[in-house]
Amino acid sequence: MSELDTYREKARAFLTSMAPKYAREARVGNTVEQDLALGREYMAAKYDAGFGGINWPVEMGGQGLTHLHKITFDAEEMQFGMPNVFFGISLGMPVPIIMHYCEDKAWVKERVIKALRGEEIWCQLFSEPSGGSDLAALRTRVEPDGNGWKMNGQKIWTSWAQYCDYGVIVTRSDPTVEKHKGLTYFWIDMKAKGVDVRPIKLAGGDSHVNEVFFDDVRLEDSQRLGAVGGGFGVALHTLMIERYIATDSGGFGPHLDEFVKLAKDTEINGKPAIEDGRIRSQIARNHAMRGGLDSITKRAFAMMMAGMQPGPEGSLQKLVAVRSRQKLSELAMDMKGNESLAFDPHAYVKTDWGASWLNAPTGRIAGGSDEVLLNTIAEKILGLPQDHRPDKGVPFNAIPA
Amino acid sequence: MSILYDEGQQAIATESRRVLDARMDKGRLLKLLEQVGEHDQPFWDTAVEQGWTALAIPEEHGGLGLGLIELGLVAQACGAATSGAPFLTGGYGVSQGLIQGSDAALAAEWLPKLAAGEATGCVAFAEGNAALPPVAGVTFADGKLSGTKPAVAGGLKADVALVWADAAGQPALVLADLSGATRTAVDSYDNTRLYADLAFAGTAATVVALGDAARKLALDVMARMAVVTAHEQVGGAEALLYIARDYAVTRKAFGQPIGAFQSIKHRIAEMYGLVEIARANCIHAAAQEGTDEFLLAAADARISATEAYDTNSRDCVQIHGGIGVTWEMGLHLHMRRARSLAVECGNLLFWEDVLVNELTGEKA
Repeated sequence: MSELDTYREKARAFLTSMAPKYAREARVGNTVEQDLALGREYMAAKYDAGFGGINWPVEMGGQGLTHLHKITFDAEEMQFGMPNVFFGISLGMPVPIIMHYCEDKAWVKERVIKALRGEEIWCQLFSEPSGGSDLAALRTRVEPDGNGWKMNGQKIWTSWAQYCDYGVIVTRSDPTVEKHKGLTYFWIDMKAKGVDVRPIKLAGGDSHVNEVFFDDVRLEDSQRLGAVGGGFGVALHTLMIERYIATDSGGFGPHLDEFVKLAKDTEINGKPAIEDGRIRSQIARNHAMRGGLDSITKRAFAMMMAGMQPGPEGSLQKLVAVRSRQKLSELAMDMKGNESLAFDPHAYVKTDWGASWLNAPTGRIAGGSDEVLLNTIAEKILGLPQDHRPDKGVPFNAIPA
Repeated sequence: MSILYDEGQQAIATESRRVLDARMDKGRLLKLLEQVGEHDQPFWDTAVEQGWTALAIPEEHGGLGLGLIELGLVAQACGAATSGAPFLTGGYGVSQGLIQGSDAALAAEWLPKLAAGEATGCVAFAEGNAALPPVAGVTFADGKLSGTKPAVAGGLKADVALVWADAAGQPALVLADLSGATRTAVDSYDNTRLYADLAFAGTAATVVALGDAARKLALDVMARMAVVTAHEQVGGAEALLYIARDYAVTRKAFGQPIGAFQSIKHRIAEMYGLVEIARANCIHAAAQEGTDEFLLAAADARISATEAYDTNSRDCVQIHGGIGVTWEMGLHLHMRRARSLAVECGNLLFWEDVLVNELTGEKA
């Protein structure tokens, strides 16, 4: 048994011991606040068991293992439905960024450990009403204020901001230069004076994202991460950190087995749906597509184990998987007919076709929309040119609004 | 089997592509489209000279003793070049029938010839629109075959055929020497595939497998050929992806390269996605050779590769506009090949059923 297999066994044993209290089945009917409280407990237990900050340096409070150990653990953890959703972004991007850019290492180490234990949560304040995909179009403004800065503006789609203690933020420090060049990056205290968080209720009924308003918020210059005007580079670094994360070829919706089971248990025109050519064809096509994505993941894993850089085809995962989940969910609902009309807003998206369908659009937009992902594949992998860009080479304050 | 290619396998991929790039000629292939009953001899000479016919045949029979991974890589290079003969896949199907069949003497007779390229093989399972009919119309009795197999790839020139037949109510896989069959060429949209109706009238044949063993072996041979074909389809689909990309970065309209328009660049990015998904399935399937998962993996590979090649043919032509539909541009070589490969050795409908049956536990 390889060292990673041993590690996987260890991870599974720990997760199994946690399952009776924390896994999805144990939390049916919980409110978000109850889940958050359980989540904090679970994170502390995970840290104490040596599974917090798996691939982070020991001197910062991590375990000092490899990225492969981390995705091995994550892939196991994903199967249990643990209440870790509140901490995914926090530990995914903002905390690694402060580890990299913050100079006060003692302060950072304290933050890292509290974040790993679920005691503190960090958010990432990037998107604005004026631009999500077009990040550099942001308008939140900072101006020099004595020996620090003063911030005014608004962010949007900020996940879990209502529960956050800190955040990382990209702001505009100079509107007279090209849009990418006038940005500066900070960490901020979400409890500071002038920060106002307002949850946004989404189509599926939940409110995990927020609008965040800033009214004359004071920032010290020591909160700046990277150079003045270097904020776009730090933002790109943030987005590149977790390129190879645990993926799900089901698009974070129900597994294809669930669809096959439904097709066996449902009749169309007096015959099992599994014998209906329309249903069979979709099962086969989805299986072939998801099988391909799984094989891409396995190959990426094998390449990393061999010390190689995985190929760029990993960038297909979210694009392909979530689209197919959306359509397959529609077909599952069609198959159920009027029985699919009853809806439980708290149902789990990985077992309920209605919940999977209604929440699928979020997956096609968040973390890079389908269109942006296609642009990235076309430009970065295939070398196709950028579209015509009227904002290129123009000072930010001269771009037609 | 590893899902990462080793150095030897990478060398096979590079070398086969290099040789075909140097020796294939679009003009020659275009002429062959209008000639019924001719294949591209320079391609086949290359295949034999390079030892591709010997790749997947065991060493004791004069082969190189390699497997589906290596043959798949060669097939991928052949697909990119729209290679002009169907014998690699057909010969592999026949050799697997012989290797896994019950007649060691027959295997010892034909495998060395197939390996050396002295003989060519084809696989004749389909009848009507069925890739593997539950009960074959072609019958086998007293060592003799009767009946007709329609439009067999390679049938016009192959020396031997592995035939799916009915032997007094039970399925039979038999090997027939085609010197004893009547061949009628089929004028096709992809003529170098050498399609022919094979008519047997008391043609001598030898049993390779009977009964359930025959059914099981036939399906395994089809799955193996499907994996080789899927690699060939991936090669074609990938070639089209890069032909489309190269055109989109050079052709200008409305003051910029057309590849800057999202309607074009997104189409090309989607082509990339189809290629990589099919490629990943092919690599996985080839590595599953001989395991219980093989049939399911082969179906995944075959379905995704067919979708990739058909779609990329459609979209590559569309991206080219008017020039894309000209005879001289030759994109129709890929369009034609995408369809002929999609129909040969089990179409999408067949493999979709195989896949779902595997998932639900109802064996085909």
